[in-house]
Amino acid sequence: MKKFVFTVFAILFSISLLACGQTDNWDESSVIKVYTRDTSSGTRAGFMEGIDFSEAAEDDSLLVQGFVTKDNTGILTSMKIDEYGIGYISLASLNNEVKGLNFEGVAPTVANVLNDTYGLKRPFNYVIRSLDDFANETEKNITLAFIAFLGTTDGVDIITNQGAVPLPSTQSWDDIKADYDVCALDNSGVTIKFGGSDSIEKIALALSASFSPKCGNFIPEHDHTGSSDGFKRTQGSEKDGDNYKHVGFASRPFKESELGVAGTQGQLAWDAIVAIVHLNNEVSNLSGEDLKKIYSGVFTTWKQLLS
Amino acid sequence: MKKNESLFMNLKKSLSFNSKKEFVDFLVRVFFLICTIISASFIFIIIFFIAREGIKPFVTDNDGIGRVNIIRFLMGTTWLEGTVFRSNLYGVGFIIVNTVYITLLALLIAMPVGVLTALFIAKIAPKKLSEILRTTVELLAAIPSIVYGLFGSGVILKIVYDLAKVFGVQSPGGNSVLATVLVLALMILPTITALSEVAIRSVRSDIEKGSLALGATKTQTNFKVVLTSAKSGIFTAAILGTGRALGEATAVYLVAGNARSGPSLGLFQTTSTLTSTMLQGLKETIGIDYDIRFSVGIVLMIIILLTNTILNFVKRRIGKVDVK
Repeated sequence: MKKFVFTVFAILFSISLLACGQTDNWDESSVIKVYTRDTSSGTRAGFMEGIDFSEAAEDDSLLVQGFVTKDNTGILTSMKIDEYGIGYISLASLNNEVKGLNFEGVAPTVANVLNDTYGLKRPFNYVIRSLDDFANETEKNITLAFIAFLGTTDGVDIITNQGAVPLPSTQSWDDIKADYDVCALDNSGVTIKFGGSDSIEKIALALSASFSPKCGNFIPEHDHTGSSDGFKRTQGSEKDGDNYKHVGFASRPFKESELGVAGTQGQLAWDAIVAIVHLNNEVSNLSGEDLKKIYSGVFTTWKQLLS
Repeated sequence: MKKNESLFMNLKKSLSFNSKKEFVDFLVRVFFLICTIISASFIFIIIFFIAREGIKPFVTDNDGIGRVNIIRFLMGTTWLEGTVFRSNLYGVGFIIVNTVYITLLALLIAMPVGVLTALFIAKIAPKKLSEILRTTVELLAAIPSIVYGLFGSGVILKIVYDLAKVFGVQSPGGNSVLATVLVLALMILPTITALSEVAIRSVRSDIEKGSLALGATKTQTNFKVVLTSAKSGIFTAAILGTGRALGEATAVYLVAGNARSGPSLGLFQTTSTLTSTMLQGLKETIGIDYDIRFSVGIVLMIIILLTNTILNFVKRRIGKVDVK
């Protein structure tokens, strides 16, 4: 019995010694382990668009064999462990326990997103009905107040909390609310309809939930069906249909055909995505093409990428 | 008319009470009946709801995508081929294999450890120590699964990653069959320990004394008499442990790596279980991709039902020794 216990301990001890004795040199001949979000993720859609691999946004079979599916936090924690992994997260969750890769030579920072040099991002835009096309003045004024709220520090906080990069702002809602008389009234019978991009749904929900009590408790109604419906249902072909909206969102730049009346469109935030690797990884800069080759399985080892 | 009248008389008779006490007794019984009906009917409501959603992908054409082929669904080795929302090529065959395989391995680890712990607490440890240990085990059983999951993704993944390195395998961040098995084993351990302990405690002491009187040592008695007498109870522990392992979603999701094809039999391969597949992206999806998760739920319920039936059958075959 004693001998047996001794043997077990000896084996355990030597395994742990071996584990400690491993030299932590980064070995470039190792296989790249690819991490991704699942097909329903907006971050995945943004990332795949950004590296020109949109067809893989909702199709797992185009990705390299043996990829790992995890959520935002899961990818982040995995990159602390896996020296040969690569994943992507929203810029807001980046910390210094992993290495955020430069994209096309530009560092992933909020400043670089705002000055439009960092490329792996997409804009979050809004569009409202044209000003003479509201059913009544109250609805119009609440909508305008909501748009003004997007640019206040209150709105910016909410956008930041949801993981996006808001445009800079200095005024708080309290500073400007005097300009919006409608918010002092009781609006509990008014319904404001939000729609468009489903990637922005969470942000829009948080914004309207926070703004409604500030503006007479109007009823926000959300129905997010995709970026193209953002314009279509506010100023486009469906603007007078059953699915009409007061505010539409698009998680991409508006197309030529979607340019509406001046002053009804704008940007509320950037959705910036950053590719991350383990701190020991020698790679620090990747192009969209490199990332596409990694995710599609053209490069399977880090050596192929570096040579 | 007459018949109706007599029925009415009967009802009146059964509702007439000789005393206030009888009336209260009647009320209490009715109250219990209502409680039972409410709690029992939930299982039917749940089954009905899941079946209604889960059958949809097989009988409707899913907004123009086309019906899901049920044979292909049950035998498939890839979860989804093609673009999501535009494809009906779902398959759970490999996930079923993964789920059963992982549960089996977790039981293989948790059973010996759990039963031996129970034996130690019930028979060997001094009274004070056994009380402390019992409280500890009960505490472990009360920890919610997300905490096990976070422990798994924070600690176990790192250990598995390093272990894989020792064996010369490049593991994807430790997300693997092994990590899942370890987390699950940890989770079902308290269940198995607590139930086995009760079973061991309820072995009649005269059997034990008889064995000791025949000259067997304490250890011999514990293994050959106590454990064999308690085997029915220990098996119940295994059944409940299996149920928990099969149904666990959150913790598994965090450490499995959620492989999209398989089956994954290698210990360091990424894997996925029925529950983790259901959980993944559930909050963000619609249409067929949402409904199909209910179909996976039906498959899971059938598998749990099957394993429970089989295990109960085995339990009956093993038979019962004299247990209090």
